[in-house]
Amino acid sequence: MTPSKAAAAAAATDPAPAPAPAAALQPDAMLACPDCDALFQRKTPEEGERIVCPHCGATLASHRRNALQRATAFAAAAASLFLVANFFPFLSVEVMGRTNTIGIAASVEALKDNGNAALAVLVAIFILAAPAAMVSGMLYILIPLLSEKRLPGAENVCRILYGTDHWNMIEVFLIGVLVSLIKLAELATVRTDTAFWAFAGLIVCLTASMAAIDRREVWSRLQEAKA
Amino acid sequence: MERTIALAIAAAILYLPANLFPIMSSRGIGSNISNTIVGGVIYFWKMGSYPVAAIIFIASVVIPVLKLISITWLCIAVRTGKNPRTMTTLYRMTELIGRWSMVDVFVVAIMVAAVQFGSLMTVEPGAAALAFAGVVILTMLSAMSFDPRLIWDAARKKTTPTHKHP
Repeated sequence: MTPSKAAAAAAATDPAPAPAPAAALQPDAMLACPDCDALFQRKTPEEGERIVCPHCGATLASHRRNALQRATAFAAAAASLFLVANFFPFLSVEVMGRTNTIGIAASVEALKDNGNAALAVLVAIFILAAPAAMVSGMLYILIPLLSEKRLPGAENVCRILYGTDHWNMIEVFLIGVLVSLIKLAELATVRTDTAFWAFAGLIVCLTASMAAIDRREVWSRLQEAKA
Repeated sequence: MERTIALAIAAAILYLPANLFPIMSSRGIGSNISNTIVGGVIYFWKMGSYPVAAIIFIASVVIPVLKLISITWLCIAVRTGKNPRTMTTLYRMTELIGRWSMVDVFVVAIMVAAVQFGSLMTVEPGAAALAFAGVVILTMLSAMSFDPRLIWDAARKKTTPTHKHP
């Protein structure tokens, strides 16, 4: 059996304490599936294992190899790429001898200049504020964890980090850029610049960083650190 | 659950101006084109850019409509308690694909930023851009406020109390 199936079988055979005597009902020893509320006994997964709810398929816990190191490495890479992506030119468009070179922030500025301030703020959140918050949040939490320490307010940062995940739309922005490139190529000569590739790299690194470590592992390491 | 439904209805209402108003207009020497979302899709199709037309159509028409249908289905599942496993999968998929509808809004933002050549050629955002961004945000909030455990609660109520899960 693959590790996840073995773990799922293990989790499924752990008795759900519904009709069990009161002694078994210790809150710390139990885990409720976040998607279907089924109760299981808490079990720490082995390295490489993943525990899955047998009713609804939600991942209950996982323990990826070298999770902390990989997550931190990718987060650090994401941070540098984010800086490059925002401080270097992104695209240049040339029509009849006139050239317009823009950075990523220009998308926000252009909307603001055209009277669409509300939309400018939204786009700024989705492609600038959200990834910045996520990258800095990851580093704030993970770097101290490498030496088993934690900085003040790390728990709040962790909550904000996983809450912001929904509002990070940099991959969608990249697809938008690709569609625009096709549109623009008809009317003008278009060139992609340094920031374009840094942005693509940022997407890969940020996704890899979030995927490298399981959320529950972050929380349990935070609780063990310095406390 | 009321919040889920309220947000979904608000999104559905906002979907009307998002499609009726133009999303982007370009002004240049001798031309002045203003396009709605669907108008843009048709334009790309006619120009032969089939992939682009398909992407915009899927992102801006198919996905929002499917999202609203999914949320409706999920709310019905809370009442009936049927197929909890399938419904939970539907819930996860809805949460995943929702943000991709923003593509069109970003396309507008980039085009407006890139094509600023004064009277030679200039692109401006239309009212539909903000409305459509609103639709995406509201459907995302609606899906986020939905509690999938309610489906399982409803499903379990249907079975007798001493029934043991396999």
